[in-house]
Amino acid sequence: MKSLIDGAPSFGHVHVDLAKGESVVAENDAMSSMSAKIDLKAILNGGFFSAMGKKFLGGETFFVNRFTNSADIEQRVTLVPPTPGDLMEFALDGKALYLQKGAFLARTPEVKMKVRWAGFRSAIAGEGLFRLMATGTGILWFGAYGGIVERQVDGELIVDSGHLVASEPGIKMRIRKAGGIFSSFFGKEGLVALLKGSGKVYIQTRSVSGLASWLNPRFR
Amino acid sequence: MNAEIICRPGNAAAKVSLGSEEHVTAEAGAMIAMSPDISVETTTYKRDRRKGRIKKAMKRIFAGESFFLNHFTAGSGGGELYLATNLPGDMEAVELSDAKLIVQSGSFVASDSGIEMDVGWQGFKSMFSGESLFWLNLSGSGTVILNSFGAIYTVDVKDEYIVDTGHIVAFDEGLSFAVTKAAKSWASSLLGGEGLVCKFSGTGRIYCQSHNANAFGQTLSPLLTPKKQ
Repeated sequence: MKSLIDGAPSFGHVHVDLAKGESVVAENDAMSSMSAKIDLKAILNGGFFSAMGKKFLGGETFFVNRFTNSADIEQRVTLVPPTPGDLMEFALDGKALYLQKGAFLARTPEVKMKVRWAGFRSAIAGEGLFRLMATGTGILWFGAYGGIVERQVDGELIVDSGHLVASEPGIKMRIRKAGGIFSSFFGKEGLVALLKGSGKVYIQTRSVSGLASWLNPRFR
Repeated sequence: MNAEIICRPGNAAAKVSLGSEEHVTAEAGAMIAMSPDISVETTTYKRDRRKGRIKKAMKRIFAGESFFLNHFTAGSGGGELYLATNLPGDMEAVELSDAKLIVQSGSFVASDSGIEMDVGWQGFKSMFSGESLFWLNLSGSGTVILNSFGAIYTVDVKDEYIVDTGHIVAFDEGLSFAVTKAAKSWASSLLGGEGLVCKFSGTGRIYCQSHNANAFGQTLSPLLTPKKQ
């Protein structure tokens, strides 16, 4: 399997070239185009209860699509997230990666996705009660609205709500005010996530809720 | 005429260099900057082709394009013109030499004087293609400038290729498409959310847009507040 990310960071999409018999699994409606020789099959997003969990808790869909090349020569499928923005390819080597709601785009079949309790702190920080955990050995693609910044954390990092995309398991989340009460309220930073520990985090440079809050007063 | 696409793919614009007395036809509102000696004429028809002008303009509205077209003509020293659109996204300059390009409505930005424009019909299947019912047929020899929501990538088709509905920008005349289900079974097509797709067959090039404005709209719209009366 070969892959090529193009159009990033504004309109990231990934061309995946599948050799004979190879597959890639992508979220609902992620296909932009594909060779007619690729078989598309909707499959449960994990087991039944796992799929239910992903739909109602993890912000994913009940079904995902599996694209399989059954032809003898390499065939291409092009996958794209619903929002314009950056796209990241992540090689999992037995370690886990946590993805925030909606970030998952695609994976090779060996990568397993699970729903994990993220905690009330995460919900207060605007990141949801649950998050997805990718495990296994394979390749994972995730997208964001805006560019994606990769940052190694050793100690602490403050991230504004709605901007966290993914994090490695060594990272724990706490909630705190951005500054004093004055700047938390008037500086529009409010509550922020304090990430603690050691590992990589991925942050998006824009957020859809930020765009919506800019657009809303202009629609009068 | 020479067109160079700049600021790709996020906020593309076309930098058009016109030779002496050369002209380019663009959809209304596309010009963002130009040399002072370029003259602008607004008509409902493509220059030098005065037959059926109102009829063609009406047809163009059905194809989701502007009723009026602007014609930019350079002075004797030539000139420079920048064209862009309202949405963020990519643009592409396609060179045609005695060929025909079928363009999704709304993707047309400009074409030079060697290109004839008409509204085409791809059958009622277009209703299900995620595109408008009518298409623009651009034929002749010269440059055509297209725009999209998302990056534009090309696929050279030899036998068959599938493009999801709402992702077509343009395709060569040598191709035709049928609207069909994405997977072998209806159950898989519907459950996986891909639903209907356009299956192209023939030989030629497809210009696809990576992103789908409707998918972005569905992500954004729950966060927008209802308009106050």
